[in-house]
Amino acid sequence: MARALVTGNHAAGHTLAACGEANREARGCCCGAYPITPQSEIIEFLRDYEFTKGRTIPVESEHSAMGVCIGASVAGARSFTASSSNGLAYMTENIFAAGFYRLPIVLIAVNRTLGPPWNIWVDQGDSLALRDAAWLQFYAESHQELVDTILLAFRISEDERILLPTIVAQDGFVTSHTQMVVDLPEQELVDRYLPHCHIPHRLSLEHPTTIGGLTWPRETEHHRREIQTAMEQVPAVLGEAIDEFEKVFGRRPHGMLSAEHTEDAETVLIACNTMARTLRNVVAERRERGERVGMVKPKMFRPFPRAELAAALSGAKRVGVLDRNHSPGSGGIFWQEIAASLQGRSDVLVQDYLVGLGGGDVTPQVIHEIIDDLNTRKEAVEPIWKEVAA
Amino acid sequence: MTEITIFGRGGQGGVTLAKLIATSYFLRGKHVQAFGVYAAERSGAPLQAFVRIDDEEITNHNQIREPDHVIVLDRTLIAPSVQAGLKPGGWIILNTPDPPDAFVEDFPGRNVATIDATDIAVTNGLGTRTVPIVNTTMLGTVAKALNLSLDDVEAALGDLKFGGGNVTSARKAFENTVAQKLKGKADMKAPTAPKGRIAGILDADVGQMPKIRTGSWATRQPERQRLTPPCNHGCPAGNDVRGFIEAASREEYDRALAILLETSPFPGTCGRVCPAPCMEACNRSPLDASVNIRELERYVAEHGKRPEVPAQWRKERIAVVGSGPAGLAATYHLGRLGYRVALFEGGGELGGVMRTGIPSYRLPPDVLGEEISYILRQSVDVHTGRFLDRSDLLKLTHEFSAVFVGTGLQDSRTVNLGNADEEFVEQGIDFLDRARLGRVRLDGLHVVVIGGGNTAMDAARSALRVGARTVRVVYRRTRAEMPAIREEIDEALEEGIVLDELASPLQLHRDGEGVVLTCQRMRLGEPDESGRRRPVPETSEDAQFDLRCDRVILALGQTSNVAILPEGSEIHENGELLGLSGAPMFAGGDFATNEGTVTAAIGSGRKAAWHLHRTLTGENLFPPPAEPIAEPDAVTMHLFKRSPSEQSAMISPVERRRTFTEVRRGMIDSPDHHPALIEANRCFSCGVCNQCDACIDYCPEGIVFRNGDGYRFDYGYCKGCGVCASQCPRGVIYMSEL
Repeated sequence: MARALVTGNHAAGHTLAACGEANREARGCCCGAYPITPQSEIIEFLRDYEFTKGRTIPVESEHSAMGVCIGASVAGARSFTASSSNGLAYMTENIFAAGFYRLPIVLIAVNRTLGPPWNIWVDQGDSLALRDAAWLQFYAESHQELVDTILLAFRISEDERILLPTIVAQDGFVTSHTQMVVDLPEQELVDRYLPHCHIPHRLSLEHPTTIGGLTWPRETEHHRREIQTAMEQVPAVLGEAIDEFEKVFGRRPHGMLSAEHTEDAETVLIACNTMARTLRNVVAERRERGERVGMVKPKMFRPFPRAELAAALSGAKRVGVLDRNHSPGSGGIFWQEIAASLQGRSDVLVQDYLVGLGGGDVTPQVIHEIIDDLNTRKEAVEPIWKEVAA
Repeated sequence: MTEITIFGRGGQGGVTLAKLIATSYFLRGKHVQAFGVYAAERSGAPLQAFVRIDDEEITNHNQIREPDHVIVLDRTLIAPSVQAGLKPGGWIILNTPDPPDAFVEDFPGRNVATIDATDIAVTNGLGTRTVPIVNTTMLGTVAKALNLSLDDVEAALGDLKFGGGNVTSARKAFENTVAQKLKGKADMKAPTAPKGRIAGILDADVGQMPKIRTGSWATRQPERQRLTPPCNHGCPAGNDVRGFIEAASREEYDRALAILLETSPFPGTCGRVCPAPCMEACNRSPLDASVNIRELERYVAEHGKRPEVPAQWRKERIAVVGSGPAGLAATYHLGRLGYRVALFEGGGELGGVMRTGIPSYRLPPDVLGEEISYILRQSVDVHTGRFLDRSDLLKLTHEFSAVFVGTGLQDSRTVNLGNADEEFVEQGIDFLDRARLGRVRLDGLHVVVIGGGNTAMDAARSALRVGARTVRVVYRRTRAEMPAIREEIDEALEEGIVLDELASPLQLHRDGEGVVLTCQRMRLGEPDESGRRRPVPETSEDAQFDLRCDRVILALGQTSNVAILPEGSEIHENGELLGLSGAPMFAGGDFATNEGTVTAAIGSGRKAAWHLHRTLTGENLFPPPAEPIAEPDAVTMHLFKRSPSEQSAMISPVERRRTFTEVRRGMIDSPDHHPALIEANRCFSCGVCNQCDACIDYCPEGIVFRNGDGYRFDYGYCKGCGVCASQCPRGVIYMSEL
């Protein structure tokens, strides 16, 4: 591995390129490219990359960028792109198409607030809005986790048991534009890790066929159930992918969910992305003071690891969810999923905190205040808007 | 963990400095983190960047609020507030020409390091002169303050591929940093940000112009200037070429003609016969082709309506001697100033060389006649048919308030061709006058014309038209050096005239079969004082050759006959003749300047009129010194699309050979093609605002406003980004340093 000081976007671009290149002896790779802050550096990196077999195709919109990925993928190429915020919103029609076509495309979502009002900073609402699009979703807390999760994503997506696309999300600016030291995967290792991309239902001239045509309700329902079945297999396939990852790269990435200090914890906080790193430091501080505080970081949001989460929270009395997103009329989107995972449990209080929306800097102090608030609560209330520093 | 905060402005490279510092430590094996606080990437906006350095993996992604050190890249950002949260013992590293103790009031008790990074960056050519980029320079001072070595600095710069002036600058900064602990007690109280009500999306001020007076961020601001378009500068008549074309581009032909008539009474004539130095100077020529100014001038003369002539006359009467372009221009401008003029012409008709020396296939007499009759609508008494002599002129100075002499070039240069018979040789000017009057035929003859100017071309082409079988032009230099209008040479060759370049006539003699002109082959030697390469004889054996011919026409140029000037007088530089006792006398046109073009004579006549007016009244009509010329680099060439130049319609070469009908028919409109309008719109309007609105359209801040005929910049909100200047197609907007 090559240790380098790079931005999150550079790390993502490098990894996507290596994954694309790893398919050079099969049907190559393709990136449909359209820029938007804060992901533009990813596709700029890919545009400048000289693939042995494959290319980056600049188009006139995000909708077309995903269209290119669909076209290339359906022809058997390893396909990937990146977008953010309103770019993802514009791409959405084709994002659903990619999911329901079951094409193993990988999309890097650099999380950015949806406008208006216009705001370029981090907020997970853009990728979480795509939760029903039949895509896997992972949220990376660091540069290294971003790199590793992209590698995992291709492996899982292209697995014949899955054949679904994957979103790998990172925080806009907080990781995308921050220089950090990271191990970038060498091509030789990526070649070893990723099998050639094989899409069984790809179109070919030898066997002319149609995919995704008109179906009756029963066929459609069947199709959805197949997707659900594939989703249910993700934990097992992910486990295999992580084992293989460790063999090739010599380190073990986080799984779908990591539970830390939850064995004896009465108070458990849940967060993902860089907020999870701040939370981890705060939990460590509280632990040093002897407090029974733990944390859970759900790296995987789709499929949502309900059983694993319920198990991790089996001893918890108070659960605080840190949501950097907002579903108007409901509350935090992680909170909805977590509350649903704990249905039937009357011995646990689940409180939602809407925090760091629109890119607010969630400092250790803010998280301390949340823990203090949670510890005094007797019962959960409506999601709480937690103000952060300017 | 060491934490560093950098204060800078968008565009100064603060984030890159963060990365450079991080890289220095990364290369030493440390864990590092570098990031900026991004806003809408606005040039000049205050921004912060951060660096963390640690032995362990860094897991903190928050902005730094209690830095170990702070760095300030821009002098305008140096203020006590930068030390908010700064830990005791930390460095305040400043880009400033002042020494640390100049900041004892701002940062008492603090460690302060200073360097004039801007000066070093400018000296080493980093960034632009108006926006120097100081980050690599500042790295040297940061290294000095934080005990990094020059090796660390150079390694980091090398890793990020910064070379040359960056390394020199960083080293210079490292060596010249002044650092000291300031006297006094440090202010450890971090100021708190004021909290106000936050506007909602339904409030009027969300997404509107920021209330921050962003103009305070600017280091430069746009200003407007007016430059002299090269065509205007190049016009000997002094025409506002750009101005008339702009009016034409708006299809305001009356206004376009009025602009031309401000300086010249002969747009229809110049639009046909001017050698068009304006087109030589046109900045459009390197892009595709010069604007076809000559044809546009003709078009405007034909399509505009001449304004009424003023009818208020002064008591002074002025005598004008000579009715060529200079005399008529002087008459015209004197008339416009209200003077009554007595115009004396030796020949039978007015117009001088314009009438007698320019064939009608180039300048139809009715076009000239119409322009002259417009001049005569002023108060002009015409006296024709008698050449004045010296005593006549002296008399005029006692009868008139002033006298202008513009008698042109009356004497033709000749060449000694030996004992040849006079009957075979004729002067071009005389030939042209006879041809015009239908008094000469050359049917079936072989004609040789000697010379390379417009008279030579006119004589050669006229010879064809009066029946010559062949016409050759013999010229000492090459076609490129010929003073004739380029298009006229082209047209002559199209008509079948043969050009013998690098040939000089030696002798004309008879042999048994007829007349032979012996010529010497020439080659081009060193440039002479006119800048043209001097022709020198070839020395080889076959350097002479014979041309058989029936007639030789000389077109070697003319000289003025100064014998008519009063004895003892001398021509002053403004054309005034000194040493006379009577009324002031001025000379102009070819007579005084020998410039040799109609256009120059028109300009000379106008200037003489203005000098004369100043002498009589004290009123100065000359404009103040012109603005600098708009050089080609004033034009933002890539903003213009290439488009071919529109041309005049022509009659065919075959038809031309038989008739004196005008060769060029001008730009002819058809229902779906308006060549003159297209051509007028090709003008760059170099250096003069034509209200194209590009500055309004491209200003990212929306702070350029129309203001009458010009524009206003709202400097309160202008950040000096320079987009307006870079998008101004014609060099009107420039950035001035604050």
